Amino acid sequence: MNCKEALPLMHEYLDGDLTGPEALRLKEHLLQCTACRALFQQLEHTDAIVRSLPSPAVPDDLTQRIMAGLPPARRRSAWSEWVRHHPAVSVAVVFALVMLGSFMSMWNEDHELMVKGNDLQDVIIQGDTVIVPKGHTVKGNLVVQRGKLEVEGDVAGNLTVIDGSLNLASTAHISGQVTQVDQAVSWVWYKINEFFSNLSK
Amino acid sequence: MNSVEARLAKLARNGDRGAFAELVELYKDKIYYLAYRMLGNRHEAEDAVQETFLRVYTNLHRYDENQKFSTWIFRIGTNLCIDRLRRRKHNAYSLDAEMPEGDGADYYSALPGHEDTPEKQVLVSETQEQIREAIETLPDKYKSIVILRYLHDLSLQEIGNVLKMPVTTVKTRVHRGREFLRKKLEQFANGTSL
Repeated sequence: MNCKEALPLMHEYLDGDLTGPEALRLKEHLLQCTACRALFQQLEHTDAIVRSLPSPAVPDDLTQRIMAGLPPARRRSAWSEWVRHHPAVSVAVVFALVMLGSFMSMWNEDHELMVKGNDLQDVIIQGDTVIVPKGHTVKGNLVVQRGKLEVEGDVAGNLTVIDGSLNLASTAHISGQVTQVDQAVSWVWYKINEFFSNLSK
Repeated sequence: MNSVEARLAKLARNGDRGAFAELVELYKDKIYYLAYRMLGNRHEAEDAVQETFLRVYTNLHRYDENQKFSTWIFRIGTNLCIDRLRRRKHNAYSLDAEMPEGDGADYYSALPGHEDTPEKQVLVSETQEQIREAIETLPDKYKSIVILRYLHDLSLQEIGNVLKMPVTTVKTRVHRGREFLRKKLEQFANGTSL
């Protein structure tokens, strides 16, 4: 081994990374080469001195100063943390709330009496009461919202009463289905059905 | 993986100041030593320590629990000190100019040897004093590595993680740093001035 090869080995040794056989080779060289021995001792000495440097005194109030330098604590409620961690669910909840809200407002908006049907010629409206008079026929479906429906005649179709009341006289004859919708949820369902049946027309 | 520290970091992230204070207690000395050795004076060291913990606090949400907390905080501290050193060189056109942080201190007072170093209260050998000055004059890229290696006893791999550097580079710089310091000590011994 020559001196050039020995130098990196010295550093490796001081790093604590020198393997057995290589350490042996280095030792052999150092035994023979005074220059390298001197250099090695100097390097060892340097290491030792650096490691021996005493630590500076840490100021007593350092922790206090560090804590004082922090921004004021922002109180984060557990709820907002949950929202942050469940974005998909949060969006779904907000969406459902918005939809529910709009349905509720639509439901509440319809305060007025509404009569829907293809054939309303014979239908009589008195105040909030809708009358299908005796002997007359409504040819088609009839929908009454927010009112009282009195059927004394015939209805050749489906009858739907939303948020109102239905009175069928003994002379009444309805060829289709009679549906009464009183709650918001079934109203929603009714609206959905109506929407889809309109689509298929 | 130090799970105590990771747990404290998690608590601190959720707003637990007490947990953060515990982390401060665990690391303030180490970071102070690091900053003091890097920057050479007490004033800047204290400033750097405060800034380091402030950065840790505001970036807790970015701390990855799979990483050692010590690696992370050392990285923040070391990079901060390296930045300060760079800025110092950049601003050092006039040593008389007041330092950016104010309070009347100018660059002269920030230079080592211009204030009573805390060690002067302890009996320090001449060689140790020389070595301290020699470390001061180490080129920046060797300085942090020498300090982390010798004074904090970090393994070469850990230093690599802290500085995001391959181990081979760390090794080379340790060797070059060591050689630089050896030469400096030799110059002192031979009476050659700095």
